[in-house]
Amino acid sequence: MGGLQLLLYFAVLFFVIAIVVKTIKIARMPIHLRWDLYPVPHEKGKGAYGGSYFEEIDWWTKPKNFSLFSELKEMGMEILFIQSLFHHNRSLWLFSFPFHFGMYCLIVHGVLLLIGAILTTAGVEVLWSSQNVVIVSIFYLTLALGKAGWLLSAFGALGVLLSRIFNGRLRGSSVLSDYANLIILLALFTVGTISSFTVDTGYSIQRSFVADIITFGSGSALPGLLTAQLLILILLLLYFPFTHMTHFVGKYFTYHKIRWEDEPNVAGSKIEKAVSAALGYRINWSASHIKSGATWAEAATEEASENEKK
Amino acid sequence: MKKNKTTIKNFSNKEGQLVELDNSSFLPLPPPYDKLELEPKIKPLLEETREKYECDLDGIVSLKFPRPQTQDEKKALVEKFLSGLKKLFEKENNWSFMQPLFLTMEYCAKCQTCANACPIYNESGQLDIYRPTFRSDILRRLYKTYVKKGGRFFAKISGNDIDASWTMIARLMELCYRCTICRRCAQTCPIGVDNGLVTREIRKIFSQEMGITVEPLHAKGSVQQLKAGSSTGMTPVAFLDNIEFLEEEVEERTGMKFKWPMDKAGADILLIHNAGEYLAWPENPEAFAIILEAAGISYTLSSEVVAYDGVNYGVWYDDVQFAKVAIKHAEAAKKLGVKKIVLGECGHAHKALTVIADRVLTGDINIPRESSMTLLEDIIKQGRLKLDPSRNDDIITTLHDPCNLVRLMGVVKPQRTVLRAVSNHFREMTPHGVENFCCGGGSGFAITQDLNFPDWRHSVSSRAKIRQILDVFQDVIGPEQKKYVCAPCSNCKGAIRDMFAAYGMFERCNILYGGLVELVVNAMPEIEKPFLEWEWH
Repeated sequence: MGGLQLLLYFAVLFFVIAIVVKTIKIARMPIHLRWDLYPVPHEKGKGAYGGSYFEEIDWWTKPKNFSLFSELKEMGMEILFIQSLFHHNRSLWLFSFPFHFGMYCLIVHGVLLLIGAILTTAGVEVLWSSQNVVIVSIFYLTLALGKAGWLLSAFGALGVLLSRIFNGRLRGSSVLSDYANLIILLALFTVGTISSFTVDTGYSIQRSFVADIITFGSGSALPGLLTAQLLILILLLLYFPFTHMTHFVGKYFTYHKIRWEDEPNVAGSKIEKAVSAALGYRINWSASHIKSGATWAEAATEEASENEKK
Repeated sequence: MKKNKTTIKNFSNKEGQLVELDNSSFLPLPPPYDKLELEPKIKPLLEETREKYECDLDGIVSLKFPRPQTQDEKKALVEKFLSGLKKLFEKENNWSFMQPLFLTMEYCAKCQTCANACPIYNESGQLDIYRPTFRSDILRRLYKTYVKKGGRFFAKISGNDIDASWTMIARLMELCYRCTICRRCAQTCPIGVDNGLVTREIRKIFSQEMGITVEPLHAKGSVQQLKAGSSTGMTPVAFLDNIEFLEEEVEERTGMKFKWPMDKAGADILLIHNAGEYLAWPENPEAFAIILEAAGISYTLSSEVVAYDGVNYGVWYDDVQFAKVAIKHAEAAKKLGVKKIVLGECGHAHKALTVIADRVLTGDINIPRESSMTLLEDIIKQGRLKLDPSRNDDIITTLHDPCNLVRLMGVVKPQRTVLRAVSNHFREMTPHGVENFCCGGGSGFAITQDLNFPDWRHSVSSRAKIRQILDVFQDVIGPEQKKYVCAPCSNCKGAIRDMFAAYGMFERCNILYGGLVELVVNAMPEIEKPFLEWEWH
């Protein structure tokens, strides 16, 4: 087993652990006050115009009209097409959409490479000339998604990077790491695009490499371009969790746990228990109108007269 | 206004006033205010005021914070700020918003989509300091340098490091009062980052740690409300006197003689108005009383301290003050044994008690809360009022959507159903509903009347709303046609009143403003005299 393979195992493991740790860290933060922002798509019959159950008389006596379909539809449109950017920042969407959509293609391409590698390991060659329609489909899908993915993401990353450099408003708020993120991604996508159209046009080398990875095989040496591609990928896996590029994690929470979280607090609910626990935290804000050292519940029920005596 | 770019570096270091404001650089308004001379101007501060108060951001003063005189004082203030900053990321001190704040600090992609949505930034002619990400970037850098593990080292190599100086903190202190927290920026963010929240969290550092607040919000706001009973200073005795006076006034205006239910245990509803209504727009609570009496609704007002004033200014600057007031409202309802609390026409009172306080009120004080818009819609849908919309036929109406009621709570349709039932000539502004523009008075700006802050509000933060109002009535903009901006929110009405006065919009364009219930009562055929008095107030 080569050093590159070992490094890849480590990078993947590191990446997965780091993302899981980050997700758990956010998920374990205490309950926060409600901070809804409308439209909330799961409001059945109301989501389209931004309405909520607060529009109903005696809303607490009525069954909740929750539309999972509307929420999933909204999520799908946002994840796949970045519709918020399409509606509110079209010039950036022109690059951001291919950038992200290309990456989605590459993720599916990677899964197909993995499936192909498993098949290869099982003795089934993934070839265009196969008699099995599923195998042929896997071959061509891997091909199409790989080439489209590398091209789209490279084009998008270049466009986003140039926007950041030449658009004064973007440049004005950018720091070194914002450029570094894009440069690393652009390097990966560019090398990936070139290798797709030169040294590994049918992705057979990469499929073999993945087969070696999953079987802990020794593997044969990769061409220089694919070695470079792999090294950049490893660098990215190690660097990625420390950046805002993990916003796919954050976005789940900002949407589902803040903007769209409209679950009312009812007696005996998990929410009520969490709120009661939070009200027991002791605060030590220093301003004179706050009873420092008291619990939130005590501070919030402190009588004005006591407050005024200070 | 100089169009030179403002960077975080010169925000932090440059001495003197950072940005000069000039009306000629703001987005031009539609006719008749396309002539610059018709616009109110931002008055420069007197030299002695400039010397006395921190005003080095844009020459506007909201906080009236005295300039520290010595380096030691400045150092102590910076240290105090940093201590408060750290507390924002401690669950014990900030469980209330730690997770949303953490996500906003970590995940902004700096795509500037939010900037396109911000009325203050765009109307100001895109001044950098008003860009939603500008203040967030400063807080983010401070967080990365002073709070995160690895602090300055990682911040430096990523380009996120910053040195906290009093020059910067003092400007940040004023800058967090240049955003109305309308959260239009957050609504458009692809990632869900919330720059409006950042504004509020910065205000919390100043209030909860440093005791620095805008006087009308704190000392004359929530503190006075908790002590005297109302942010207006109105005590329970004065409140009861007021109600007596209003009962007489209703009889004079309508011929209807009835007692307003007060402290009536066992009523279905506790109705809480913004107490400012009783003093500035008494016709609004009067109209509520008339409607509820005519519809036979079981309700009561409360004369308990705090419970006759629905405002909760903590929602804009301080979690502890917020919780204190919310609990007082709920306790009054519990004492009366009502089935629900209904909020009058006050947007932030709606959001505060109905939405945000939902995770403060537990056990037997978690009493259901509801919007008066919903109640009014129900009354009309059930046919409990006789209405003749032709009584409002001489008026063209439009509806202002209070951010707190609409974008931040999702109450969009009920007020429209009511308005359509009483007005044959209703037209929508563009944009409206959850995409509305703030009145410019949000987050406490409507009640911040000191020095030249109102000038800034009229020229900058209310500008998008002025534009919308002028646009919606542009084909009938002359004084011969009566036009009415229906704003079902006390703070919005305050901001609209002030902007109309500053621009002379009633005299020049014959546009009046007011609440929703006034139009409803004006459409009630059993009331002979018009309830709506077409005069400036």
